Amino acid sequence: MRKRITLPILLAAAMAATAVGSVRAADSSNYQQLQKKYSTLKVQMQAMQKQMAQMQKQMAAQQKQMKAVQQAAPSINERATRRAIKRLSRQVMKLSEKEAALEPGNIQVLIAGDVNVQFQNKSGGNSTFYADSSPMIQVRIDKNIFVNTAFDFYTASGQAGGSAADIGAANINYELGDYMTVGGGLITSPIGGIVGNYNPAPWNRWLVDGSLEDNLLPPNELGIWTRGGIPAPGNLGYLTYFLFVSNGPEFIGTSGVPNQLSYDNFTATQNAKTVGGRISYLPIPNVEIGYSAEWASPTQSGALTKSDSWIQAVDFNSYYFNKKIEGFVKFRGGWTWEQVGQGGITPGNPTTPPALGNMSNGGQIDVAYQPSMCGIKYLDKMMVAFRYDRTDGPVTGVQTPGAMHEQRYSVGLDYWLHSNAVLKFEYEFDNVPDQHGSDAMFMQFAVGI
Amino acid sequence: MNLRNIQTVRMIMLVGLAAASLTLMAGCSNNGTAGKPTAKKAAKPAAIWPLAVQDPAKNETGAQIWSENCLRCHQLRSPSQYTPAQWGVIVQYMRLKAGLTGEQARKVLAFLKSASAH
Repeated sequence: MRKRITLPILLAAAMAATAVGSVRAADSSNYQQLQKKYSTLKVQMQAMQKQMAQMQKQMAAQQKQMKAVQQAAPSINERATRRAIKRLSRQVMKLSEKEAALEPGNIQVLIAGDVNVQFQNKSGGNSTFYADSSPMIQVRIDKNIFVNTAFDFYTASGQAGGSAADIGAANINYELGDYMTVGGGLITSPIGGIVGNYNPAPWNRWLVDGSLEDNLLPPNELGIWTRGGIPAPGNLGYLTYFLFVSNGPEFIGTSGVPNQLSYDNFTATQNAKTVGGRISYLPIPNVEIGYSAEWASPTQSGALTKSDSWIQAVDFNSYYFNKKIEGFVKFRGGWTWEQVGQGGITPGNPTTPPALGNMSNGGQIDVAYQPSMCGIKYLDKMMVAFRYDRTDGPVTGVQTPGAMHEQRYSVGLDYWLHSNAVLKFEYEFDNVPDQHGSDAMFMQFAVGI
Repeated sequence: MNLRNIQTVRMIMLVGLAAASLTLMAGCSNNGTAGKPTAKKAAKPAAIWPLAVQDPAKNETGAQIWSENCLRCHQLRSPSQYTPAQWGVIVQYMRLKAGLTGEQARKVLAFLKSASAH
């Protein structure tokens, strides 16, 4: 019985086993196919991913290019527009010059200058009123030729009629190009910079009284010159120059004891000449640093030989204009060295020259502040100014270097009614050793025309 | 002629020579008033004299040059204070005093004339 049952079971088991084996064989072949498909798909996907990455890169590059093109497009237009504007403005300028030249009465004349009224009270002296009028006649012959004449009429004690007249400028200038002008005549001296550029016109001074340094500097030059401004190499700002040859100064003083140099030598006594000039550097428009020097052979009328004089000066000028300080602050300063050499100038006795080997020097520092942007009525037109100036020189007749010393502190308050009309008040603390000094008070109303 | 006179004459000659050199330099570097500016002309000055570089004022406006340079020495005068013709005289005078280049002066004048007219 067991045998009968076992056999069919075994048979069934064998059949089942065969069936399972065939199923397993079929499954494994499918799996392999699937695996192949999977690996193929995977390869394809990886290739596609690579392609996509490449495309993304390309897209990014294209976007960059697009941006660059978009950015460049307006600047190209701007550049073109700027060029066109420049071209047009050049044409307009040329046309307006031509038009001006064709217009009848193209010689342009301007009467300018300044007027001032002053009251001063110096300790140890009389208080006095003072008036000065300095008209200028300026003529523009054409775009290259310019003529300037200046006069000075003023009240003065000790003069006949209590007044005096002087000529301040009489010169002709010819522009040779963008960087040079040549000229001749009487002109404000460039030595020291500050006198030539800022001090002559009272309306343009911060303080009423001139500085002690002014006394060491020649006021005018009568001769020929060349001057101009040129861009500094490497576009590092500008350089200016002023070179001249003029009549030399003359010794004045008591006979045989000359003690002062007069630069108003309009006759060039004994053929005396001066050679000098000033150069300055402007790294930025609001800063100027200058150096000037002049050599001369001063003489005295009737003297047999000449002496020599040598002046050197440094100067600076700057301003800072900013909302942070509600306006502007200005700085100016300078120092001058003047040396007069030995010279046998005694008429008929050249072997016993007077002791002229002396040296004078002096300088100043000026500061001014105006809160022009503060927005407060009246205050925005006020300017406070301060100056320290000093000089060391020989005493008249003694000729000892450094024997005379004077220094001053000056404070001033200006009220600008207009850009060219100013009311000024100044107090000057004067210190002369071994003397009482002569403190002074000034008031002035000055107008530039 | 004594020794002093000889020295003076020498000095004058030296200054004259320096002035003549500067005149030549200015003549060579003149790019604002003479002739039409061509590429050939523009390249010439730089080759002759290193200082004959392009004036930086070419990239500045007249108003900028006016405000930056004039305030250095005096209060700014309003453009309406003078007529365009009067500004022509004043700018020519101030060019001398301030040592402005031709380019700077032309730009300032153009600005003052247009501002004065309006």
